[in-house]
This record gives sequence, C-alpha cells and structure tokens, in this order.
Amino acid sequence: MARNVSSVYIHVVDDVISKVRDEFINFGVGENVLTELQTLWEMKMMQCGAISGAIERPPPAQKPSGPITPVHDLNVPYEGPAEEYETPTAEMLFPPTPLQTPIQTPLPGTDQSMYNIPTGPSDYAPSPITDIRNGVDLKAGRPSPYMQPPSPWTSQRPLGVDVNVAYEEGRDEVDRGASDQPMTQDFFTISSGKRKRDDYASQLTSGGYMPQQDGSGDVMIEFLLPEYQPKEVQKSMTGRDRETAVKILSKKETEAAPVLPQQDGVNDEYDDLFHFQGNEDYNTPAEHVELRAATPAVGTPKPAKNEAAEDDEPPLNEDDDDDEDLDDLENGEEELNTQHLVLAQFDKVTRTKSRWKCILKDGIMHLNGRDILFNKATGEFEF
Amino acid sequence: MATFELYRRSSIGMCLTETLDEMVSNGTLSPDLAIQVLVQFDKSMTEALETQVKSKVTVKGHLHTYRFCDNVWTFILQDATFKNEERQDQVGRVKIVACDSKLLTQ
Repeated sequence: MARNVSSVYIHVVDDVISKVRDEFINFGVGENVLTELQTLWEMKMMQCGAISGAIERPPPAQKPSGPITPVHDLNVPYEGPAEEYETPTAEMLFPPTPLQTPIQTPLPGTDQSMYNIPTGPSDYAPSPITDIRNGVDLKAGRPSPYMQPPSPWTSQRPLGVDVNVAYEEGRDEVDRGASDQPMTQDFFTISSGKRKRDDYASQLTSGGYMPQQDGSGDVMIEFLLPEYQPKEVQKSMTGRDRETAVKILSKKETEAAPVLPQQDGVNDEYDDLFHFQGNEDYNTPAEHVELRAATPAVGTPKPAKNEAAEDDEPPLNEDDDDDEDLDDLENGEEELNTQHLVLAQFDKVTRTKSRWKCILKDGIMHLNGRDILFNKATGEFEF
Repeated sequence: MATFELYRRSSIGMCLTETLDEMVSNGTLSPDLAIQVLVQFDKSMTEALETQVKSKVTVKGHLHTYRFCDNVWTFILQDATFKNEERQDQVGRVKIVACDSKLLTQ
C-alpha cells in the first residue's frame, strides 16, 4: 500500500518502540523511559521536518491495559496508550525539559520509584559539592553544559584520558576488587546518574566541582569554595593516597591554579611586530597590505604573491590545484554530508566505457531538504 | 543477524541517535540498551522500506566520483536529476551510498 513519508516514519517509530519494549523490561527500565524515548524522537523529527506536525495514529481498537501482549502488536499499529502520545503530549513536553517528563506525565507512580533510583545519592562520592550540582542538574533538566562529549558510550568511555592522575590512583581503592574492568564497572553503574556525572566532570572541568579522592583538590576547593575545608577531601582519602597526594599536590598547585599569568604566546607583542595574517606570516608586511585590500576571492591575491616572493627559488607551484576539484570536493564533501544524500541498497552496478548504470532498492533520499523514499531506483551516470 | 547501519544516517536515524545520545548522557538509558534500540531501528527501517514503499525513481547525472569499498558503493553525482511519479528534483551535488542487497539475504 502506498503511504506517504510521514506515515512510514511513524510506522517505523511505532514498530521500533513496540519491539524494544521487551528489552526495556528485561533491563528493568521503566515504561516511562520508553515513552520519553518515543516522545523525544518524534519531537526531533518534527523539528527537522521529517514528519509533519500532526501525528495521526489509527484509533486504538482495544482499551489500553497494563500487560499488553507484544505478539498482538507486531502487525498492528501500536494501539497501546496512544492517546497519551498525541500532539498534546508533545506540546506538553516542549517547554519542560526531558528530565522532568517522568514527573509530569500521568503515569503510575510505581514507575517513579524506579526512576528515582538512578538519581539517588551514590556512595561513591559523598561530597556535598556533587550533591548540589546534581540537584541543580535535575532541576534544570538539561544535561550540564559540560557534558558534551558526542556519543562516548558507543565507544568505551576514555576514563583513562583523565588528566588527573591522582584521581585514577584514588579510584584504585574502589576498583581493587575489579582492577581489570573499570570501564565495565562504570557501564553497570551507569544508571546511577550521579556517578556518571562525576566521571564527566572529572574529564571536562578543572574547577572545584570534582569529588577528588586525593589531596590536590585541596588547592582548588580552598580557592573556590572557602567553606569546604580540606577535611572534606581528606575524609575520602585513604592512607595510601596521602603520600602520592602530597607529591601531586605540589605539582598540581602550579598546574591547576586557575590564575597563572602568561608571559608568552597569546598576549605578547609579537603579532604587532610582524603583522601576522593567518598563514602568510613568511611574507613581508608590504605584501600583507595587498592581501588585506584584496577581494575576498581566495585565488585573486595569490598570483601577485607568487611573482614577488619566488624570484630566487624554483617556483613551488603550490597553487596550481587550488581552485580545482580538489578544493571543491573537500568543501563539497562537507556540504554533502549535510545536504543531498541517498541511502539505499544496490542490486546491480555496471559500467560500459564511461556509462554507468545501477539498480538500487529500498532507499531514503534527502534532497532539497525533503525526504523521499523509494522501493526501486535506476540510475544512469556519465563519468 | 547483521543489520545495515546505513539508514542511521537518514533524518529519522539521526533523530533517533541524538535522542539516544541525550538519554545515555542523562543516565536514563544504558549504552547497551541504546545500541539494541538502534539495531531494532535498522531492522524496522529496512523492513518498512521493503513493504510499505512502492515508488520508483530514476536518476541521471554526471558521475564525479565512484568508490567501491567493503561492499559499499559510493557515488558522487553532479547536476543530478531525480524523477518519480510525482515530482522531479534537481541537485547540484549528491552523494549516493549503497550497500549490497545480497548481504542481507545470505
């Protein structure tokens, strides 16, 4: 049956959600998380225009009950508590932040307790600093601004990259029992949202938020939060750490102090002396005047530069390929990733001299800002 | 069963990936579960394209680049025209990524 793009996408969303429901149950994750996933997904699709604003679902044939047998849902459009997912729900969720969703949706309170577990205090870092920050995070709803790393969970999270050596050493105490799997351990406890935030914070901030296990935190904590005395940190330090902490403390004092006057590099007068202009710094200032006055076109000032600067050297011909397909291709490739794209499967690709023919199937095209789906496509290209 | 992950680069796939990213960053979802959702998306999307879509498209254009690597064809066309029953689209440059359809049925 022919369906338009939006309805196919909605069908896919429903299909995916209904089929992962079992997995969610096996993992012990609540239904409201699944609901949140679906709602966020649909919201994003509406924002990027993949689906039209009105989400039309066939009216539910059966009354939504708690235990919905998945078998019935396979070939039938998702007929669960569909009313809750209508546009009003999406609108309701638009202003508030995603994290507040489970609190606001009229779902049974039993799931609330499940959701509260990840946000409860973990015994890993009892520092009140982290508590406050987590409280702020929860209320703000958005992931903290410094939790930006793109998809770190798809690759093993690089905890080892943490620059704070003492932090790692402190963790050895905790990981002693499972010394060869600190990464796995983190994944298991990932539902403990607080711990995860600690880990991110340790990578990304150099401020005083870190629940450090060692003494080097003394300096920063003292500097930024005077009310938290070193004893706060020492509480979490063990005897073994103190020695290493003391050594690192002196090192970190110089490295981690936030206000270190810099004598070179950024704020000196070197630039003024040599009139830097990007990568043209090996030319004389006189030619830079030319460049500045030149038109924005990249190729225009270059011939002038070549004549003057390469008299006593064999010409390097470094600009020969500049405006050719090479640049266009690089720029084009970047644009292509965001612009026109066809994703499909190929049945056959053939070539005769410079004439290419291909048969494609089951594809999604994104052209001129819109999505088009096809079951079969034939292409003829001239190379 | 292996899936074609290429549909994750589509609009719907990117929306899902971003949503899952946010939820994993929040700690709402575990990475394992998120990966399972993506795998299910691959299957559902492939199946939907097979069963629910019936349109046919023709493409013509100048082939700027072709590449065949790991059983994936990548074409970059210039000044391409896409025609189907309803409309016709012209684009200056387009990238076509195509996986081998026989790999899924093996």
